[in-house]
Amino acid sequence: MKVIIDFFSKGTFWDILGIFFQYAVFIYGTSLLLAYGLLAILSLTSIRRYMKKNASVDYNIIIESPLAPGISVIAPAFNEGITIIANTRSLLTFNYPKYEVILINDGSTDDTLEKLVDEFELVQVDYAYREKLLSKPVKRIFKSTNPAYDKLVVIDKVNGKSKADASNAGINVAAFDYYLCTDVDCILDKDTLIKLIKPFMDAETSTVREVNGDIQIQEDYKRVIACGATLRMVNSCEVDEGLMMRVRPPRRILPRFQEMEYIRAFVLGKMGWDTINSVPNVSGGLGMFDKEVAIKAGGYDSLSLAEDMDLITRMGAYMTDNKKKYSVKYVPVTLCWTEGPTTLKVFGRQRSRWGRGLAQLMSTHRKILFNPRYGRMGMIVFPYHFFYELLAPIIEFLGILFYIYLIITKQINWPNAIILIVFVYTYSVMITTVALLWDQITFKYYKTWGETIGLCLMAFIEPFVYHPLIMFFALNGYFNFIIGKKHVWGNMQRQGFSPTKKKSTVKAG
Amino acid sequence: MWNDLVSLLFLAYEQFMYLSLFIEIALIFIFIAIIVTLMSYGSILFRRYDSYVYQKRMAHLSPIIEDLITEQVLLNENLGKDIPVDEIEFDQQAISNKLFRKPVVRQILIDTLIRYRKNFRGEVGELLRKLYTEMNLIEDSFAKLRTFKWETKIKALVELTQMDIPISDSMLLPLTNSTNPTLRAASRNAYIQLSKNEPFKFFDIATEPILPWDQLEMFKIITNTKDVTIPNFSRWVSYSNNKSIVTFCLKLIAHYDQQSAIPAIIELLSTKDHYFRAHAINCLGKLSAEIAEEKLVTIYTSQPVNCQIEIIIALGRISSGKHLEFLKQEFLFSSNFDVQMNAARSIIRHNSQNSRSMLTEIMETTNEENQLIIKHCQNPLIKY
Repeated sequence: MKVIIDFFSKGTFWDILGIFFQYAVFIYGTSLLLAYGLLAILSLTSIRRYMKKNASVDYNIIIESPLAPGISVIAPAFNEGITIIANTRSLLTFNYPKYEVILINDGSTDDTLEKLVDEFELVQVDYAYREKLLSKPVKRIFKSTNPAYDKLVVIDKVNGKSKADASNAGINVAAFDYYLCTDVDCILDKDTLIKLIKPFMDAETSTVREVNGDIQIQEDYKRVIACGATLRMVNSCEVDEGLMMRVRPPRRILPRFQEMEYIRAFVLGKMGWDTINSVPNVSGGLGMFDKEVAIKAGGYDSLSLAEDMDLITRMGAYMTDNKKKYSVKYVPVTLCWTEGPTTLKVFGRQRSRWGRGLAQLMSTHRKILFNPRYGRMGMIVFPYHFFYELLAPIIEFLGILFYIYLIITKQINWPNAIILIVFVYTYSVMITTVALLWDQITFKYYKTWGETIGLCLMAFIEPFVYHPLIMFFALNGYFNFIIGKKHVWGNMQRQGFSPTKKKSTVKAG
Repeated sequence: MWNDLVSLLFLAYEQFMYLSLFIEIALIFIFIAIIVTLMSYGSILFRRYDSYVYQKRMAHLSPIIEDLITEQVLLNENLGKDIPVDEIEFDQQAISNKLFRKPVVRQILIDTLIRYRKNFRGEVGELLRKLYTEMNLIEDSFAKLRTFKWETKIKALVELTQMDIPISDSMLLPLTNSTNPTLRAASRNAYIQLSKNEPFKFFDIATEPILPWDQLEMFKIITNTKDVTIPNFSRWVSYSNNKSIVTFCLKLIAHYDQQSAIPAIIELLSTKDHYFRAHAINCLGKLSAEIAEEKLVTIYTSQPVNCQIEIIIALGRISSGKHLEFLKQEFLFSSNFDVQMNAARSIIRHNSQNSRSMLTEIMETTNEENQLIIKHCQNPLIKY
């Protein structure tokens, strides 16, 4: 204590600030790494519980059951002309007894709609459309005259410049109590609907207890409002007519890093949060939702750049405001494969949007932060995202600047600096490797050990190559948010799926 | 050598103690991270190797087990000769092979026998069961049932149920009310399949719910299992305190068209829980309970929207024609879009002279928006 008092009495302002910064960053960094470690342990608990619970489950019983709840599959499409037919066919072949596929042509400027009309024998129908959620005007609704495609509904609407707007139109048409939101260019597992509806049907309802000889019914209903699953990169996988034939880690370096990052985020992150009922969001690429709650929460916000997390936040807030218990679930199996950006330009645009979306979300829902009324969301989810997601790139960037300053002014203690860098590096490699191990526990997606270890090794170069990019683009997103720069949706050149290479233009952030 | 190592560690410890707290923490984390990373790599490789070894073992054992089943059961020369299955003998030398004493092999054997039994019924199915008991695999399953691990208990329940081996009530009935939902569901399914006299006895004592997913499984078992005595489910509708059991019974009543349950279901209309009430109304509709129509229409105005919609759907299912005017009024004047849609569907569902002329009249007199709803509901292309 005396040493500290002496120091503060003798040191200059900048010395004190420097020391304070070093202490703060060390504590911040260590707590962040400990949080990751805790998430790793929690996710293992969750994965093991899921595996044990589902080992004896016969998923096929739902296929022939008259008690299966209906599900509406909502898939917005914008300029998907080249791949729309194969992808729609894929959506029409789920293993599930009662579902509809709602395809939203979000004002495409190519031949997406024409192709759909021709291929699926669509005709315009008199449809009583009621706008429960706001969206750009719906022009026409089509149904197929061919009974083989009776599950298909196609909505033609004015472009709303966001997936959120198109999804809202889809929800307005959805006939069932649950809806699955996905992207039309995603490759989905045939059992996606079965695997995602199960957590909704496993929700505890009421329990009868005997209290002092009296029978009492205790309502303990924790409504499942949303459920997600792991996403992976489709780049380098073999896909035939919308069906996944062979899973491979991407060969190109950028999608390969993303594959590793997705596994870490979903298998380790989301599953960890699932254990303590604090899942922050369900990915826009694949998620099943309780329609009633989604509508009451106001649906997707077309102005939000993080519309998926925004929806979950509002659904959670709605439940809390109405004093209803709820949970958001995650399953550790990969049910969706999406194409990751392969160029730095598109990747940067996507990550800047994510960064900006996070800042926007924190700003919009700031009343939830540290608000005990919102339970776990207010006291765990939001503080974690504020400190360890939103602030992380800023603190990291300031840390790098401080390091450079110390080097220039020759104040740096090189042995200690190296030890601290090695500390962060080895820990980050450990977290990624553990995430990949957890992934292997759930299912061996890669055929050869070479593919598995090859992906694991990416963890060693990630801190030098991939991580700085993410930090830079996140900061760029924050900057755009602060200056209020108008967001422009860019185009992403789809590479198509192996073995046949196709190209199409789709909307990407 | 040993002394050198100890002194080296001691020296390292001494130096470590002189470092600042930050560096000490960092070094500890580095050590942990390296160890965990190496262990993770080892585990990944080991798991893949283990899986490879298992596949190799299966490739070796499967033909041996398949041969045993083929020779002793499928090609048994006493099959089809009107000899009771109990009197058919197995080749004792073949079934007492030392290989079949290993726990791993016995488990593969049980799994294979179950797979076969799913595909063979009758005499062959019975002979598979006899092989299971004669090889004393039944003891393996009961040993699993006695463990503390719930997942192992479930495995045992599946094995014994598939092999149609009775389990005493004292052992099984408590499990049907377990707080572990997965074990509870497996036990209940086993109870229905194994209990010949009172397969639904656990309904009387169940305080834990039947989850919607478990209802799917139970529904399939009840409707697919031969020789299950189907009781009158209205007794639980009247007396059970367990909402999920009542809800499930309503689904079974509708499936088995138990008309005698209608009075008990009408009693449920006065329950306070509106989700529960909606289930009861739905069931009355599926039973085409004309007797309940008046009551449904009487309570309509005091109901929340979900129950109102169920009443309108029920009136459409019953289609007595007595309340067409009521449906028309709801269609024309309700401010709720879903009520309007379902009222239109219910009128169309009547498919009578009166309903058709009512629809024509509505189409001639109502506004464009309502006309669109009628067209929507009449369009055969729009399924849901």
